Amino acid sequence: MKAEKKPIVSCKGITKVFGKDELAVHALRSIDLDIIEGDFATLAGPSGSGKTTLLNMIGALDHPTSGQVLIDGQPLSGMSKSQLSDLRLNKIGFIFQAYNLVPVLSARENVEFVLRLLKVEANERRTRADAALAEVGLRGLENRRPSALSGGQQQRVAIARALVARPRIVLADEPTANLDSTTTGELVDLMYRLNQESGTTFLIGTHDPRVMEHSKRHIEMTDGQIESDIRA
Amino acid sequence: MMETFKLLAPLAWRNLWRNPRRTIITLFVVSVGLWSILAVASFITAWAQSSRDATLRLLIAQGQIHAEGYMDDPNISNLMPPPGAALVAALNRPDISNWVTRLELPGVVQSEYKTLPVSLVGVDPDAERRISSIPEKIVEGRYLNGLEDDSAVIGLNLAKRLKTALGRRIILMVTAEDGWLEERSFDVVGVYDADTAFEDTYIFTGRSTMQAMVGVGDKIAQIAFEVPEDAALAGVVERLRAAAPGLDIRPWRKISLIMGAMDATMGGVIFIWLAVMMVMISIGVINTQLMAVFERTHEFGLLRALGFKSRHVLWLVTFESVLLIGLGVLIGMIAGAATVWGLSDGIDLSAFGKALEAFKAGDTLYLEVKTSDYIIFPLAIWALGILVALWPAWRAQKISPVEAMRQAT
Ligand SMILES: Nc1ncnc2c1ncn2[C@@H]1O[C@H](COP(=O)(O)OP(=O)(O)O)[C@@H](O)[C@H]1O
Ligand SMILES: [Mg+2]
Repeated sequence: MKAEKKPIVSCKGITKVFGKDELAVHALRSIDLDIIEGDFATLAGPSGSGKTTLLNMIGALDHPTSGQVLIDGQPLSGMSKSQLSDLRLNKIGFIFQAYNLVPVLSARENVEFVLRLLKVEANERRTRADAALAEVGLRGLENRRPSALSGGQQQRVAIARALVARPRIVLADEPTANLDSTTTGELVDLMYRLNQESGTTFLIGTHDPRVMEHSKRHIEMTDGQIESDIRA
Repeated sequence: MMETFKLLAPLAWRNLWRNPRRTIITLFVVSVGLWSILAVASFITAWAQSSRDATLRLLIAQGQIHAEGYMDDPNISNLMPPPGAALVAALNRPDISNWVTRLELPGVVQSEYKTLPVSLVGVDPDAERRISSIPEKIVEGRYLNGLEDDSAVIGLNLAKRLKTALGRRIILMVTAEDGWLEERSFDVVGVYDADTAFEDTYIFTGRSTMQAMVGVGDKIAQIAFEVPEDAALAGVVERLRAAAPGLDIRPWRKISLIMGAMDATMGGVIFIWLAVMMVMISIGVINTQLMAVFERTHEFGLLRALGFKSRHVLWLVTFESVLLIGLGVLIGMIAGAATVWGLSDGIDLSAFGKALEAFKAGDTLYLEVKTSDYIIFPLAIWALGILVALWPAWRAQKISPVEAMRQAT
């Protein structure tokens, strides 16, 4: 184990229960997991195994029923809603399965949006947004609205947006689920290249074998528990 | 703050046009609502004012002076001497445009067919021409000529009821100074056309003639005065009271209680209309904004996941309402002003004929844009719209970021 590197994300005994009594769903059962800087990790498992729930906990979108999530050593419990917003803004990039983009904003504006929230000055904002879009191969499409982009292109914009603020970790939940195999392959190659070149840490929830091919670390979940955690 | 504004303003504006149909319907509701308030207010104000002016122009004028007690019991023992020097000086000031003195007493009129109770008014015809509209309302014969004129001018309906006509004689009986019933015959030289109730009540003759008939010397019953500005009336009344402390001096609202009440009612009608429209607009705005919020649950979740704070969502939705209602208010104001200007030649009411006689001014109504209406009503609607839209905004800011991921999968 690369014990010398500090974990970016640390999950300690996380459980998540939805509902109460007979209706209670144990979505997560005592999860212990560290994500290390530079990881390109895939989180796999059948539908309903708890992948999304775990990514929500790590992304500070939801609270665990018990246990602790630490980002860069900081526990999330006890943070206010506003502090959690700031934490997401500063440290985490998100890529969702679909409807990732704000429909009334152009590709560039979608990418710039995060930089605006970070109060980055206008010129720099534009330079960085255009560079991020060029990086994901969308040069020339900066002014298009999401409705004028293909599904693959939309996911590329989402990747550009997730990366533009240089987050500590990018969380992707089934980013390729709506794409055909060629587009999926290209998108995975892109994420992998970004991980290799910039060292950005990725945690990708997926059950797509083409995504797993590239993974350097493969985490397998069943029934709210981690079944295996294998480094390639 | 400025940064937040720059972030939210374009988003809010574009969001407004995502569902153009719905936005246009809401704009329509807000603008038609405001337009109708402004139009109704202009119309009612114009109507009330012109019908009031018309009624006051008949006889009341804007204010009257009597001896103490005359208003409660208008008989010969409650008359007063003509105005003294101090009161005349006060009446001749420029904030009073005209004034007249009259002798008015209750009496009885008799023709060959009928006897009816009336009010006999002795007037100064030259002064009346400046303050009263009766001289212009003569439809047969002529108005009186001078203080000494000993003929009578009567109303159209009274002439009909008495079965008398121009050139015939009528007998008038009035209680005289000595307590006896004094009677005298008059030639009918003129017939006027006002509203029926007025026509049935008032008979006019020369003031000196009437004073001699009842033997009261130069005593009079009332001074009626007219001011150029109704708003200044209260001040004028105060000033006259100071100049003539022993007399009963009243503005028209306190003379004709019905007209005072009508004046207040007209204002009430405007506010009822305002309230009805406000409820309609509120329902429209809440409905639109709630739908707009529910439709975008996923999107608010996404924004929150990206680092948008809940107050940003609250601001965003509120901002959309501010723009939406503001735009509607603007259109409503323009439409309201355009309507009033479009009708600036006057609205022809002659079609209503006799039915509205008692309320009717002339046959034409003149609308005007009242600046205060164009500030207060739009602001009230705008503020109300934003206030009710806070509820959908509140719902939106409560949407948790988890919604983004859940709805996406
Ligand atoms: N908000 C919720 N309320 C109730 N049950 C939920 C909720 N979110 C997820 N679950 C349940 O938790 C379990 C794990 O779901 P999820 O994390 O979405 O799995 P995956 O992403 O691996 O398909 C499922 O049984 C799901 O029905
Ligand atoms: Mg899932």
